[in-house]
Amino acid sequence: MTAYVVRRVLWGVLLLILVSALTFVLFRVLPSADPARLRAGQNASPRVIAEIRANLGLNRPLPTQFWLYMKGLFLHGDLGYSYYSGASVRSLVADRLPATLSLTIGSAIVWMAIGLPLGIVSALRRRSRTDRTAMGAALLFISAPEYWLGLIVLYLFAADIGQVKVFPGAGSYAGLTADPQKWLSSLILPWLVLAAGFAAVYARLMRSSLIETMGADYIRTARAKGLPERRVVLHHGVRAAIAPILTIFALDVGVLLGGAVLIETVFDIPGIGRLNYDAITHADFPIIQGTVLLAALFIIVANIAVDIAYAYLDPRVRFS
Amino acid sequence: MSLRFTTYGARPLTRRSPTAITATRTGRGLSVFTSIRRSAWLALVGGAGAALVLGLSACGSSGGSISGSSGTGAPPGVLTPVSESLTGGVRGGTLTVLDHQDFEHLDPGQAYSSVDYEAVYATQRPLYSYEPNTFAAPTPDLASAPPQISSDRKTVTVHIRSGVRFSPPVNREVTSADVAYAIERGANANVANPYFATYFGSLEGAEQAEKAGNGGAIAGIATPDSRTIVFHLTEPKAQILASALVLPLSAPVPAEFARKYDAHKPTEYGSYLVATGPYMFKSSGAGRVLGVGYEPGKSATLVRNPNWSAATDHRPAYLNQVNIQIGGDPNVIGRQVLEGSHLLQNDTPAQAIVQLAYEQHRSQLEISPGAGTNYIAVNNHKGPFANVNARKAFWAALDRVAMNKARGGELVTNVMTHFIYPEIPGFEQAGGLAGPKVDYNEHPQGDAQVAEKYLRLAGYPSGKYTGGATLQVVGATGSPEAPDAEIVDQTLKNLGFKTKFSLVDKSVMYSKFCGTPAEEIDVCPNVGWAADFGDPQGVLDVTFNGKHIEPTGNNNWGQVNDPAINGMMQAAEPLVGAPARAGAWAAIDRELVAQAAAIPFAFDKEPNIEARDVAGVGDVWNIGSWDYSYTSLK
Repeated sequence: MTAYVVRRVLWGVLLLILVSALTFVLFRVLPSADPARLRAGQNASPRVIAEIRANLGLNRPLPTQFWLYMKGLFLHGDLGYSYYSGASVRSLVADRLPATLSLTIGSAIVWMAIGLPLGIVSALRRRSRTDRTAMGAALLFISAPEYWLGLIVLYLFAADIGQVKVFPGAGSYAGLTADPQKWLSSLILPWLVLAAGFAAVYARLMRSSLIETMGADYIRTARAKGLPERRVVLHHGVRAAIAPILTIFALDVGVLLGGAVLIETVFDIPGIGRLNYDAITHADFPIIQGTVLLAALFIIVANIAVDIAYAYLDPRVRFS
Repeated sequence: MSLRFTTYGARPLTRRSPTAITATRTGRGLSVFTSIRRSAWLALVGGAGAALVLGLSACGSSGGSISGSSGTGAPPGVLTPVSESLTGGVRGGTLTVLDHQDFEHLDPGQAYSSVDYEAVYATQRPLYSYEPNTFAAPTPDLASAPPQISSDRKTVTVHIRSGVRFSPPVNREVTSADVAYAIERGANANVANPYFATYFGSLEGAEQAEKAGNGGAIAGIATPDSRTIVFHLTEPKAQILASALVLPLSAPVPAEFARKYDAHKPTEYGSYLVATGPYMFKSSGAGRVLGVGYEPGKSATLVRNPNWSAATDHRPAYLNQVNIQIGGDPNVIGRQVLEGSHLLQNDTPAQAIVQLAYEQHRSQLEISPGAGTNYIAVNNHKGPFANVNARKAFWAALDRVAMNKARGGELVTNVMTHFIYPEIPGFEQAGGLAGPKVDYNEHPQGDAQVAEKYLRLAGYPSGKYTGGATLQVVGATGSPEAPDAEIVDQTLKNLGFKTKFSLVDKSVMYSKFCGTPAEEIDVCPNVGWAADFGDPQGVLDVTFNGKHIEPTGNNNWGQVNDPAINGMMQAAEPLVGAPARAGAWAAIDRELVAQAAAIPFAFDKEPNIEARDVAGVGDVWNIGSWDYSYTSLK
């Protein structure tokens, strides 16, 4: 088990280096905006652009730039400085991470709490009115773009521009430590909107996975042994059916921790996604690199965690 | 100069950069809001729907002739910065600003975009500045009187006011040496001011200072006493330097405070600002702004500068505090502003929001003229459009009305007919809104017969291009740039050209293609310009003077290098006085039209919105952006 984890962690580090290299190449070698030019403005002379390029260290050979970046990252945890604000990328990421964590963790709880029970009920009552209603609603929410859904929800329920003024609207986010009550109330709508699509997907996944599981021989055996149906479903059925869903869950959470840009934008939540989006529009490479690395890190960590959890959920899985 | 950017919808929109419109403010394209009333519901949620509705609306509006267009001003009931009242505001209160776009530079030595100017001009005092309702007549700001220009036009003398003090932690009175340091640091490689070379490059010793790049003294800047600064030039370019003293670079910077930050590569002075204007960024005791009064991508806070004296300033500074909230979605922000209290939006509202404001909150909408130009750069140097008659044929064939509809129609644009734009001196002399009376300019919806006539004159007897060349056309992605580019591409095909048509990000379009002559791009459909200050030279010189063609970062996108035009510009450059300059540069404008040096299609206007209990005052010189130093609460 320990050897397995160590091996996975090492692979994760290697993957991070590869992601760093890929991001580096994508934004510096392939056609993109010139950060020096963007920073200098349209009227700048070639000399000024060259000076800015030198100030930002962009005049050095690419391998040197990459080496310096990686050295700073792995030896000092230094992610560099924003080309625009001059702020440390590490501090910017640290400043934005709590909002993204709040958004992601809260919505993950909501979508699991809604999606899984719905999927289980639908699987156990196949073709019933409940099943059809649940899956129809799921289809609706899967089809609804979260950006659009966010706008609708704000217009309906936001305290400032809503028709029924219930929840704080966009721009009301406050940090958990600064104002817990405001933190909670400001995140209710974003949680619901972000969770809606995921809950729908997870309900469908849970339904199909559980239907397949409930047709397995060992389920029939469990019933033949006289186990209560509740135990058959929850202990033998759901436990096995949930394993593939956990894999997807880890990926989804990892991706969202890298930033939920649309939701963060619609609800004006200063998270990682918006930081990354703003950086891309300004070709602010250090921030792009930092946020991409963070997203990769979350995905890798989430995958390792799920792989470990797998063994506990499914006795057939062994570390090797 | 600066562009207001927009990030959604399309350009972004840049709110502009003073010079070139490199991005577009998002949500620029509104159509003529004549017959369609949409519910607030649709206005909020219908981003895509809005485009459709706008498109339908556009289809239903008449194109009309140029002479029949609605003029450069705002429609009835809509505010315009040109005629707004600058006095009588209520003193006190806190204004909240919702901007989806972040600042780019807060350091006055680096600022160049309109979104930067909103804060920089509230916190800094350059030698001269514009009152909100003019882009033609600067007012002495830190200076005590208009600049004195010597008879040989090589010396500019400026006297500065007494009683102007820096904000904490510097606190002392401003002297001419602080202005000298501010301008000298523009040549510091760590600051790298973008317009230093263009407007201050004729100072004696400027070139050496730029080469040294250390921000040292410039020989051509003298401070004979603490109230006087004298600029000595190597060429008779005093007028353009005097005009450029409205730029933030002339705002004083205390060397004893800033020098240590300027030693960093790049400078860190933008994180530790001191102010001379009525407001200052909230800061620590040491003057640190970053993380205190400015959190990148999140917020900024302007508070009163305790050392500011109203007796020394033309700005009333009614507000006690300005809280700027950065980020969010333009559709949501717009609704919050229109329905909220003590709020305004100071970057480009979304299309649907402008339409909603126009239909239901007209008194909360401001439309500013003079927001820049949009034209098509055609390669004057090489290829089919090196022929002047081919260019005229293209101009004649183009449906400029359709291109304007793609941008929103007459509420936010006028059909562009020449190159000096509204509010810039020389606009009327160059032809006003109707433009020069030449047949290829007479029919903004396009005239196939006139186009055929000029193609025949270009050597194609059939009236269609038969040269066989394939044109490289590179436009920008997003709306309204992409639809405009599509119209251009189709027009070229109708004329018989084969095209290789590409759409790329706007910044890439400028930096990799249209701004690099070696790429030999034939047509760039989405270029534009906005002046740094109200002088026609700032509109025409960099963009059409052959001496400014650069191998990279070129802003003369069509590589216009006509000896006659170059000569006219050389003669006009040293002229002193607005009337003389307006006349001379208007003549150059007419010659550019006569040569069809580029194909103009849209004079921009800019929408801005405010809450009903805010008495916003917009800056016509800054594309209508709300001016915190004049705005008040009702």
